[in-house]
Amino acid sequence: MKRWKQATAATLALLGTWWAWAVWNAPLDSVQGVIQKILYVHPPLAFAAYAGFIGTALAGALFLARGEERLDRFAAASAEVGVVFCTLMLVTGPIWAKGTWGKWWTWDPRLTVTLLLYLTYVAYLLLRGFTEGSERAARFAAVYGILGAALIPLNYYAIELFGSRALHPDNLQRGSLGEGMGLPFLLGVLATLAAFAFLLVRRFELGELRALRAERLAHAALREDA
Amino acid sequence: MSAFWAVLWKDLAIEWRSRDRFAAMAVFAALVVLVLYFAAPPSLDAAQNGHVPGLLWVAYLFAGVLGMNRAFAAELENDALSALALAPVDRGFLFLGKAAASFLILLVVQALAAVLFALAFSLNLWPVAPQLAAVAALGALGISCAGTLLAAIAVRTRYREVMLPLLLLPLLVPVLLGAVRATTALLTIGSLPWPAVQLLIVADGVYAIVSFLCFEYVLDE
Repeated sequence: MKRWKQATAATLALLGTWWAWAVWNAPLDSVQGVIQKILYVHPPLAFAAYAGFIGTALAGALFLARGEERLDRFAAASAEVGVVFCTLMLVTGPIWAKGTWGKWWTWDPRLTVTLLLYLTYVAYLLLRGFTEGSERAARFAAVYGILGAALIPLNYYAIELFGSRALHPDNLQRGSLGEGMGLPFLLGVLATLAAFAFLLVRRFELGELRALRAERLAHAALREDA
Repeated sequence: MSAFWAVLWKDLAIEWRSRDRFAAMAVFAALVVLVLYFAAPPSLDAAQNGHVPGLLWVAYLFAGVLGMNRAFAAELENDALSALALAPVDRGFLFLGKAAASFLILLVVQALAAVLFALAFSLNLWPVAPQLAAVAALGALGISCAGTLLAAIAVRTRYREVMLPLLLLPLLVPVLLGAVRATTALLTIGSLPWPAVQLLIVADGVYAIVSFLCFEYVLDE
């Protein structure tokens, strides 16, 4: 296990360094200037955040179906790491927005839905924290995670229906990136997803260790009583 | 199905005898209307009053959340919640019964709040009363369905009164969007916009189905 962790950490460090070098050497956008380089950070963070939230919902649904506690621990890990990446995304986004649109925030569809999702998953983490009994917390969190994920398409539908002016760029089409921007962007996505996976596994392991410790404490208490 | 009627009858009977939940919701809705009048007073220029229909829905939403907080209050005494969980009936129908009771109580509160709101903000709601009632009912349906499921969750957590709004409000945004759009159109041009009603119906459907299916996982012994 330790060797796996070392190998992954090394890969992540190399990938990160290569990415930073690629971003440094990427061409400057003619319109936005240097602030456009947040492109290599912000969308990858968004991919990771959404991956985290969808992972939470799927793991929660599987937990309700199968009852395996490992699935619940994975859901908890996925939510925490997803919230971290979502926080970073919500910080880098306004920095980019201020530089290009001139304002820190707009109620554009994508921004609004992402903010709602962020609030939903912060509430998810609070729910986990405030529920007594791990089995009950697992069930409650799984149900809320499923509801939260069901709201992603519903919120997009709701906000698009009312056609607020979309300032946020649409999904990148193939070839819409300028010359020389493809590599740093790809590296950014790979590095961020690798970081996400790395953090997710570490957090999942932490959950497993805590569960193991709780089990051993319970056994020790039983043996003392006997 | 008889479980649905039994639970609905039980909740409405309890409410009829004590009227505490209804009274609390109605007084709270009135206070919210008052606060909103002072916080965001209507302008003499009608063109500046585009925000007013949204204020009505703030009152409905807050009264609804308060009501949902009390939805499982009766069941906390004498461990009645466990008894409900142990009942050999389909839990989906238990959910429907409780949600229906909350829905009906909220409808009455909404009617009362609408009258007070019209008085406070000098609106004439009579010409659009049936359509407004329909929009209010669709909104109340969404609040009741999502609220009943999340109330069953929140009642078993610490800080249950705080937990429910935290869980419920982000999820109610689609309902709020559709309801406010529909109400604004009703009060300005006098007709219901189909996209807003469609959104309300879709959102209510999603909440009802997910809550119906997931209720058995939140009701534990």
